[in-house]
Amino acid sequence: MNDEYTDNKIETKAADSSSGSYAPPAEKIPAQEAPDQELYHAKSFWTKWVFCQDAKVIGIQYALTATAIGMIGLILSWGMRLQLGFPETFSFLGPATYYQSVTMHGMIMVIYLLTALFLGGFGNYLIPLMVGARDMVFPYVNMVSYWMFLVAVLVLIASFFVPGGPTGAGWTLYPPQAILPGTPGSEMGIVLMLVSLSLFVIGFTMGGLNYVITILQSRTRGMTLMRMPLTIWGIFTATVLALLAFPALFVACIMMTLDNLLGTSFFMPEIFTMGEKLDYAGGSPILFQHLFWFFGHPEVYIVALPAFGIVSDLISVHARKNVFGYRMMVWAIVIIGALSFIVWAHHMYVSGMNPWFGFFFATTTLIIAVPTAIKVYNWVLTLWRGNIHLTIPMLFSLGFIVTFVNGGITGLFLGNVIIDVPLSDTYFVVAHFHMVMGIAPLMVVFGAIYHWYPLITGRHLNQTLGKIHFWVTFVGAYAIYFPMHYLGFIGVPRRYFEMYDSPYMTSGVGLNQFITVAALIVGFTQFLFLYNIFTSWYKGEKSERNPWKANSLEWHTPDYPPTHGNFGKELPVVYRWPYDFSVPGSDKEYIPQHVAPSEVPTAKAEQT
Amino acid sequence: MFVAIIFALIIVGSIIFHFWSPWWWTPVASNWGNIDDTIILTFWVTGAVFVAVCLFMAYCVWAYRYRPDRKAEYKPEDKKLEFRLTWLTALGVVALLAPGLVVWNKYITVPENALKIEVVAYQWGWNYRLPGDDGILGKTSVGLINDDNPYGLDSNDPNSKDDILVMDADLHLKINQPVKIELRSLDVLHNFYIPQFRAKMDTLPGIITYYWFTPEKKGEYEILCAEYCGTGHYAMRGFVKVDEEQEYSDWLAKQISFEKMLAKNKLEKNLLIAEKN
Amino acid sequence: MSQFDITKLPKGSKGFMHDWGSDQRAFKGVPWGKAMMWIFLLSDTFIFSCFLISLMTARASTVVPWPYPSEVFGLTVFGTSVPLLLIAIMTFVLITSSGTMAIAVKYGYEKNRKLCGWFLLATAIGGLTFVGMQAFEWSKLIFHDGVRPWGNPFGAEQFGAFFFMVTGFHGTHVSIGVIFLFIFARKVFRGDFDTGRRGYFTSMKSDYEAIEILGLYWHFVDLVWVFIFAFFYLW
Ligand code: HEA
Ligand code: HEA
Ligand code: CUA
Ligand SMILES: [Cu+2]
Repeated sequence: MNDEYTDNKIETKAADSSSGSYAPPAEKIPAQEAPDQELYHAKSFWTKWVFCQDAKVIGIQYALTATAIGMIGLILSWGMRLQLGFPETFSFLGPATYYQSVTMHGMIMVIYLLTALFLGGFGNYLIPLMVGARDMVFPYVNMVSYWMFLVAVLVLIASFFVPGGPTGAGWTLYPPQAILPGTPGSEMGIVLMLVSLSLFVIGFTMGGLNYVITILQSRTRGMTLMRMPLTIWGIFTATVLALLAFPALFVACIMMTLDNLLGTSFFMPEIFTMGEKLDYAGGSPILFQHLFWFFGHPEVYIVALPAFGIVSDLISVHARKNVFGYRMMVWAIVIIGALSFIVWAHHMYVSGMNPWFGFFFATTTLIIAVPTAIKVYNWVLTLWRGNIHLTIPMLFSLGFIVTFVNGGITGLFLGNVIIDVPLSDTYFVVAHFHMVMGIAPLMVVFGAIYHWYPLITGRHLNQTLGKIHFWVTFVGAYAIYFPMHYLGFIGVPRRYFEMYDSPYMTSGVGLNQFITVAALIVGFTQFLFLYNIFTSWYKGEKSERNPWKANSLEWHTPDYPPTHGNFGKELPVVYRWPYDFSVPGSDKEYIPQHVAPSEVPTAKAEQT
Repeated sequence: MFVAIIFALIIVGSIIFHFWSPWWWTPVASNWGNIDDTIILTFWVTGAVFVAVCLFMAYCVWAYRYRPDRKAEYKPEDKKLEFRLTWLTALGVVALLAPGLVVWNKYITVPENALKIEVVAYQWGWNYRLPGDDGILGKTSVGLINDDNPYGLDSNDPNSKDDILVMDADLHLKINQPVKIELRSLDVLHNFYIPQFRAKMDTLPGIITYYWFTPEKKGEYEILCAEYCGTGHYAMRGFVKVDEEQEYSDWLAKQISFEKMLAKNKLEKNLLIAEKN
Repeated sequence: MSQFDITKLPKGSKGFMHDWGSDQRAFKGVPWGKAMMWIFLLSDTFIFSCFLISLMTARASTVVPWPYPSEVFGLTVFGTSVPLLLIAIMTFVLITSSGTMAIAVKYGYEKNRKLCGWFLLATAIGGLTFVGMQAFEWSKLIFHDGVRPWGNPFGAEQFGAFFFMVTGFHGTHVSIGVIFLFIFARKVFRGDFDTGRRGYFTSMKSDYEAIEILGLYWHFVDLVWVFIFAFFYLW
C-alpha cells in the first residue's frame, strides 16, 4: 500500500481527548489490517449468473425469488378479501381453503417475502458496497445460503400440491390443532411447512453469519462502526436478532415434526377428539407458544429494523440534511433489538400462561416504545429545516412515517395487557400488524427500490408510474387498515371465515366490502410496479452516476453500476460519516465519505 | 404543497373518522367498564402524539420543500432536545401503563363470592358445568370421557354428584352475581369471548384457565371462539343469557345433575337392552 | 504493504472500546473464519438452550414420575449393575478427544504436519467411538428396555422423547465433526495447508487456522455434552 499509511501506530491519545470516542484522527487512517480479499472469478455462464458467488447477484436472486413468492402471498390475500367482503357472491372458497390461504399468506409475507427481501436481498447487495468490502467474507457459503432459501421456497410451494393441501393452522402453527385432523392440511401440509421453515433457518444462518462477519470484520479503512450508514446498522442488528431468534423456531419445528410423525408428546396433552382419546399425554401447548414467540417477536423487529435503517438514509439523502441524532439512532436500534428478546409473551396475554407474567411483559413492551419514539422524532426532525426533494423515495418515506406511527401506537394499545384482553385475536390486531409490518416496511422496500434501482441497473424507474404506485398504495393501504381497527372494537375475531348474521356484525358489512375493493385496487397497482421494474430494466431513462447525490460508498464505485469486486483496484478510504450534506463553510453541497478533509479545507464538518 | 396538504388531510380524515364512525364497541354489559376507560385514555394520549407527529411532518414537507436557493441546516444532534423528548415519552408510557396495570390486577384477582362455572370447549361447541349446592366442582379427567360421561367426571369424587351439566344449550347467569369462569378444553385451543363482557381467555387441553366478571346488564349475548381451532372455528358460537334472580332460579331448577344423568343413561340403556331382548 | 501490529493495541476494557470504535475490524487480529465460528456457536448455543429449557419445563410440569437415571442407564457387568458406567466411559472418551484436538491445534500452529495429522485422526476416532457407544446405548434402550420416543416403561413419556431428540441432535453434531476431522486430517497429511492447495468446493486457499476453527467447534460439542450429561444422567 501507499507509504503515507505505513504509520501503524494508533493515535489513541488524540482521540481520547476530543470526545471520548475512539474515532481515528481525521486525516490519519491506520494501515490495512489484513491483505485484500481474494475473490472467486466466474469462468462460465453458470458460475456467473446461476451459481454465482458475487453478493450483488445473490442479492438480486434473493430479491426476485422473494418477490415471486410474495406475489403468491398477495394473490392469496385477494381470495381472503373476496370471501370476507362478499361472502355470498364468492363461494369458491370453503372454510378449509380460506384457512389455508390465511396461513400461507401470513407465513409467506413475514418470512419468505420480508425477511428474505430485507436481509437476503438488500443485505447482500448493500452490505459489501456500503462498508467498503469486495464481497461477503465467505462468498461460497453465501451462495449456498441462497440455494437453501430457494429449496425452502420450493418445498413451501410443493405443499400446495400434496394431498390435503398446505397447512391451515394459522401462521402461528399452534399445536395441538396444527397437527390434528380438525385443521386443514394436517396430513402432509404441516410437515412440509415445518421442513421448509427449518431449511429456511439453515439457509438463513449461512447468509446471516456472512452479513455479521462482513460488517464486523471486513470494513474498509476508516469505516468505523459509527461511520456506517444506518441501513447497515439496521440490517446488522436484525441479522443478529435473527441468528439468536431462529434457533427457537428451529427447535419448535423439530419438536412439532416429531409430535406429528413419531407420536411424541412435546406439545400434546391428553386429548379427546372426534369421539376418541388420542395417544398423547403430558405435553404442553404453551411451551410451543413460548418458543414460537421467542422467535416471533424478534422476527417482527427483524423486518422492522432494516426498514428503520434504510428509511433514515432515504430521508437524509432526499432532504439533503444529515440524519438528526445519528448516535441516538444507532443506540435506539441496538436497544430495540436487545429489548425485543424480553417482550415475547405480550402475544400470550390471554393464552392461559401465569397471569402474573402480564405485569412484567406489559412493562417491557411499553418500554420499547421509548427508543422507537426517539427514532420517529429523529426522522421528522431530519425533515425540519431540510431542503426536501419530493422524489419517489422521499414520498414512500413519508408514507412510512405515517403508517408506522399509526401502527406503533396501536401496538401500545395491545402492549398494555388489560387493553389487549378485549382486543386480542380481533381485527384490531390484524389492523395493527398490517399497518406496522405489512404497510410500513413495504413502503420502505418500495422507496429503497426506487432509490437503488439506478445503482443496480444504471437506469431510472418510470417516474409517472412511480407516482401512481405511491399514491394508490399509500392512500389505498391506509384506507384498508385504518378502518379495520374499528372492526376489532366491535369485537370481530380474526381468522373468521364468515360472520353470518351475528347480531352486532351486520353494521360492519359495508366496511368489509369497502376494504375488499380497496385491497384489490392496491394489489393490482403492485403489478403496475412490477411492469415498471421489468420494462425500465432495458427501456428506462439512463441514470448518470450518483443521481441522488448521496455520500455513501455504494454510489462511488469506479464502475457504475458496480462490478464484481466492487471497488476496482484499490479499496476506498473513509474519512467521515455518510451524512455530510449542506456542510457550512464548504462550497460543496455534499461531501462523500471518501473525501479527505484536506480536499475540503473550508468545511466545518463535525468530526465523526 | 400538494403533498403536504394530502398528508394533512389524511390525518384530519382519521380524526373525523374516529369521532364520527358508526363502528364502535358494543355497550359494556359487565363490570369491566374500566377497560373501556383505559382504552379511552390511551386514545387521547397516543392520538395526540400521532396527530402532532404527523402534522409536524406535513408542516416540514410544506415549509422546507425544495428550493434551489435553500440550504439545509447542518445539525448532527441536539442533546437537550433529545433528552426532553425521551423523558416526555417515558412519562407518556407511565401514564398509559400505570392505570392499565391496576385494572389488570383487578382482572386477575377473583373475588371470594364469585360463583364458579366451568366452560368445556370442544371442536366446535361449548358445554357448561355448574357446582351443585356444595359449591364445589367435582374432579374430571379426559381419560374418563365416554358416551355416558361426556365431561369425564370422576364419579368417585363426592363433589361431582350434584354438579349441574348444561349440554348443547345456552348458559344462564344471574345478574350482578360475580362469576369465575373456569375454562377447560377437550381437544385443542379455544377462547371463550363475549365482546360485551370485554373479557377473554384461551382454553387449553390439560390445563384449567380462568377469568372473572360480573354481568351487569340483562340480555342475550353471543359467545365467540376467539382462538383459531380448526375448520369450524368461525362457527363455534353460543349464547349467554343474563337473567334476573327469579328467571335464573327457574332455569337452574330445570337443569340435570351428574348423578341424575348417570341414572338416566343407565335407565335408557337398560330399556334399550330390554327392547332388544 | 505495511503490516498491522496487533500487539500495539491498548489492553483491557479500554482496548475493547478502542477495537469497537476503530475501523476495519471489531475483533482485532481475529480471522474471519474464527469470528464466524464463534457467532455460529452462539447461535447453536441458543438451539441447545431451547432444547434443555424445554426439557426442564416438561420435567417440572409432568404429573407422571420422571424415570430414575441410575435405573435406566445402568449397565450390568459380571452380574452386578453399575450405574452410569457406559456414560462415564463415553464422557471420558469425548473429553479426551478434546485434549487431542487441542494438541492437534498446537502442532498445526507449529506447522508440524505429521503430528497435527495424527492427533486429528485420534480426535476423529475418539468421536467415532463416542458415536458408536451412543448407538449401543440407544439400541440397548430401545430393544432391551423398551424405551420409545412415544413412551417408556419407567415413567413420563417425555423422558424418552427428549432423550432421543437431544442426544440425537448432539450425536449429529459429533458425526458432522468427525466427518470434518477426517477431511481435515487428509488435507493436513497431503500438505494442503502448506502448499496453499485450493479447496474442492470453495476453490479458496486455507491454512492451519482452519484446524483451530474446527477445534472451536469440537470443544463446543464437548461442552454441550457436559450439560446434556448433567441434565439427563445426574438430575
Ligand atoms: C414490523 C412488525 C411489528 C412491529 C414493529 C410491531 C411493534 C409493536 N407491537 Fe406488534 N405485532 C406484529 C408486528 C409488529 N409489531 C405482528 C405481526 C403481530 C401479530 C402476530 C399474530 O398474532 O399473528 C403483532 C401483535 C402484537 C401484539 C399481540 C396482540 C395479540 O395478539 O393480542 C402486541 C401486544 O403487545 C403488540 C405490541 C406491539 C408494540 C408495543 C410495538 C412497538 O414496538 C411499537 C412502538 C412504536 C410506537 C409507539 C410509535 C412511535 C412512537 C411515538 C410516535 C411516540 C409516542 C409514544 C408514546 C406516547 C408512548 N403487537
Ligand atoms: C408483511 C406482511 C403482510 C402483508 C404485506 C399483507 C398484505 C395483505 N394482507 Fe395480510 N396478513 C399477514 C401479513 C401480511 N399481509 C399476516 C402475518 C397475517 C396473519 C395470518 C394468520 O392469521 O395466520 C395476515 C392476515 C390477513 C388477514 C386476516 C385473515 C383472518 O384473520 O381471517 C387479512 C384480511 O383481510 C389480510 C389481508 C391482507 C391484504 C388485503 C393485504 C394486501 O393485499 C394489502 C395491499 C397490498 C400491499 C400494500 C402491497 C403488497 C406488496 C407485495 C406483496 C410485495 C411486492 C414486492 C415487490 C414488488 C418487491 N391479511
Ligand atoms: Cu374454538 Cu376457535
Ligand atoms: Cu410482538
